Amino acid sequence: MSLKKFSELFGDLDSINSTNNKIEVLKRYFLSNEPIDNAWAIYLLTGKSNKRFISGRYLKNLFSNIYEYPQWLIDTCYLKVGDSAEVITLLLKNKTISRNKKLSNISLDELLSKIIPDLSKLNEDEKNIQIKHIWEALPEENHLIFNKILTGTFRVGVSIGLITKSISKLINIDEEIISHRLMGNFKPSIDSYEFLINKSINNEELNSKPFPFLLANNFEDKIFKNSINDFQFEWKYDGIRMQLIKRSGNVSLWTRGQELVNESFPELVDKMSYIKDDFVLDGELLVWNFKEQVAFDFSFLQKRINRKSPTRSIQIKYPIIFIAYDLLEINGRDIREIKLENRRIELEKYYSKWQNKTENNITDILRICDLIYPIDWTDALTFKEKSRENNTEGLIIKNKTSPYTSGRKKGIWWKYKVDPMQLDAVLIYAKAGSGRRAGLYTDYSFALWKDQELIKFASAYSGLTNIEIKELDKWIRKNTIEKFGPVRSLKPEMVFEISFEKIQISKRHKSGIAVRFPRITKWRKDKKINDADSLENAYKLMSKIS
Amino acid sequence: MRTKQEDLIRYKDGNLYCELADIWIDPSKPVKKALITHAHFDHFTFGCEEYISTYDTAILLKERVGENIKIKTFDYGEEFKINGINISFHPSGHILGSSQIRFIFAEEKWLISGDFKLQKDETCKQYEIVKTDYLISECTFGLPIFKWDETKKVANDISKWISNSPEKTSLLFCYSLGKAQRLLNEIQQTNFKGNIYSHSSIYKMNNCYKELGIDIKDTIKIDNKKKIDELKGNLILLPPSLSKGSYLKNFKNIQTAFASGWMSIRALRKRSGYDKGFAISDHADWDGILEVVKKSEAKNVFFHHGDSEALSKYLVERESINVLLFSK
Repeated sequence: MSLKKFSELFGDLDSINSTNNKIEVLKRYFLSNEPIDNAWAIYLLTGKSNKRFISGRYLKNLFSNIYEYPQWLIDTCYLKVGDSAEVITLLLKNKTISRNKKLSNISLDELLSKIIPDLSKLNEDEKNIQIKHIWEALPEENHLIFNKILTGTFRVGVSIGLITKSISKLINIDEEIISHRLMGNFKPSIDSYEFLINKSINNEELNSKPFPFLLANNFEDKIFKNSINDFQFEWKYDGIRMQLIKRSGNVSLWTRGQELVNESFPELVDKMSYIKDDFVLDGELLVWNFKEQVAFDFSFLQKRINRKSPTRSIQIKYPIIFIAYDLLEINGRDIREIKLENRRIELEKYYSKWQNKTENNITDILRICDLIYPIDWTDALTFKEKSRENNTEGLIIKNKTSPYTSGRKKGIWWKYKVDPMQLDAVLIYAKAGSGRRAGLYTDYSFALWKDQELIKFASAYSGLTNIEIKELDKWIRKNTIEKFGPVRSLKPEMVFEISFEKIQISKRHKSGIAVRFPRITKWRKDKKINDADSLENAYKLMSKIS
Repeated sequence: MRTKQEDLIRYKDGNLYCELADIWIDPSKPVKKALITHAHFDHFTFGCEEYISTYDTAILLKERVGENIKIKTFDYGEEFKINGINISFHPSGHILGSSQIRFIFAEEKWLISGDFKLQKDETCKQYEIVKTDYLISECTFGLPIFKWDETKKVANDISKWISNSPEKTSLLFCYSLGKAQRLLNEIQQTNFKGNIYSHSSIYKMNNCYKELGIDIKDTIKIDNKKKIDELKGNLILLPPSLSKGSYLKNFKNIQTAFASGWMSIRALRKRSGYDKGFAISDHADWDGILEVVKKSEAKNVFFHHGDSEALSKYLVERESINVLLFSK
């Protein structure tokens, strides 16, 4: 019965908007299912691994071959639905499949630990036949789950935080503990579930795991009412947030996405063994420009993130640095409860000790963040505006008396980002969206003037309200010049204000520039296309910064 | 080979028009003479000099337009003549009174499907297969991703949805004419035993249906002022127009759903803003359209109301049926 129950759970979670109701539904599910199925459910819901067994394209081809269904028809349906797994699920409904009920009582565990992994052992022909068998043996209401797991696209509006809350309520143990237990490589097994819901807390097994991260809120104006002296100011780096942990001599490096990334950054892990103390540091990993003493652009970091065991030359070409801004644990003592200003004192104390007493110089790979000392709020704003000069995104403001809690708690940390750069650009292409935006034109390309020509400079898909999206979609359909598959070229008529964070030279783009995080911030209905910005203006922005 | 100009029925100013009889079908602007397939707002307009429809459609039309319109009615299957053309209405299974319209002129048959469905619906007459040479069909759901579940299953899902949240008032949004009455009829056959309330616009249509002899459950009338979150455990039917705007913001203890064929697609369900979607439609699904095209034995097919590109290509490639485009 349990795969059926999981399908129902998916349906329920998909159609409930209230967090409290989702928690109730999850609690009920956990109470009424086997531990092993619960473990798998958590594994799937938290997106711990979205391993792709076959691609969406493969799934569509397979269906087309088995049922002699025209490929173009499947593609047309896809444009409406926006998800391969769902298209095939809907089309399967339309096929009078000779159903047998062989798999009608299958458990989630059987599906995930046996049936699906077994598929990878087969050759292509056998695999195709086996998938067809599964479709025919599986009750209709389980097709979506099966197809989504196959294509690695299982997602539902449930965050790790929500799972944490549900388990926490289920067994009446603090969320922090559950959050801690859920971090890292959660392997679905009876043991892992039993550990998760264990009512006694065991420190040892939590040893290599990071603390739940404390997240910054967006800046709020009401902070201006407080004295500037109540806060600690830091630059906001554009790197990867991590906790660097050394306990009982073992080093582990964790991202906020709860991935253990020791293998990607071996030079950092190695150097840490020179430090005698045990510690948990919270900070930012960056690729560092040693000549200018600023961080390189995030794109440099991307060259390192997904590469395991980087070669020596990669390590030299993209040198990393860990900038620590908080000390959470020192020699086994959890100091998250003490005030930030005192934690900072500890951080500085230990860092200077490590600098002096470590035989091997660690300062080229581990640093602590500099603090900024604005004299008043106007001064703070001035600092913020200068942040582009040192390649940071703005300021992080921290309440000096705050403990290190978990999650995005109010009143502890704020991010105060520098205002984005903006250009007014002309909409020239639109592409149909996928997923939730299927069937609507929601991916847009924008152009700037160069002499009399409009040159594409950025693509953006976020920033419009649902009402605006619908309105624009209508306009797009009426003002199409040409269709190329899902893309339409449009009459140049609409002007939008595009905001972005960074602008740099790019040889890959016709415009010669690339911008980071472009998004629509205003539909400039008041502007005609001749009022749009030119590429020259974009170049000016660039020279202003460097 | 005939030319487009000679087509008995063609598209003119965005409407279906028969020049020989000087008559319009479901016109969107006032004309002299209008044949009306059914009483949904997008199929008629105010101010025509004369309307022609089935009796049930006429009653519903009068409820919506007013008593003073000039309207002639015919029974299903009853032939009448205009300028030498034999015209007749046939059940289309869409809503009460809905019809297909057949034209016969000089041995040539033309059939306008109107909005139609093949699924069983106790609140209106079952779709009748009508043979024709030319078929003008709607294709609102002209893609194979649309495959309707049995109405009974959907009705049970709705009943379950309500009873799973006894602490809430369940608001089911649906078109006030046709869908609402079909749902009432189906829900009364499920285990749901709570009260059902209808918004006044739906209540009015319920009464019309009852007067026309359709068996639907009694409901309690409510208007916009009612504090609906006090009606927990019960069901309220509301028109979709009320889901927009500020009306719902007044209520906390509610859950919402929309009953429409489009709700079979997750992306549309999510985008709709309702908590839940029930895929139930008064239009034919893909299989339904194909069945009608085949059983009508039409050699030539036109499509309107919907995206017909894929459907047309499929019929031409797979079924060797000649699909024509209206000249605009």
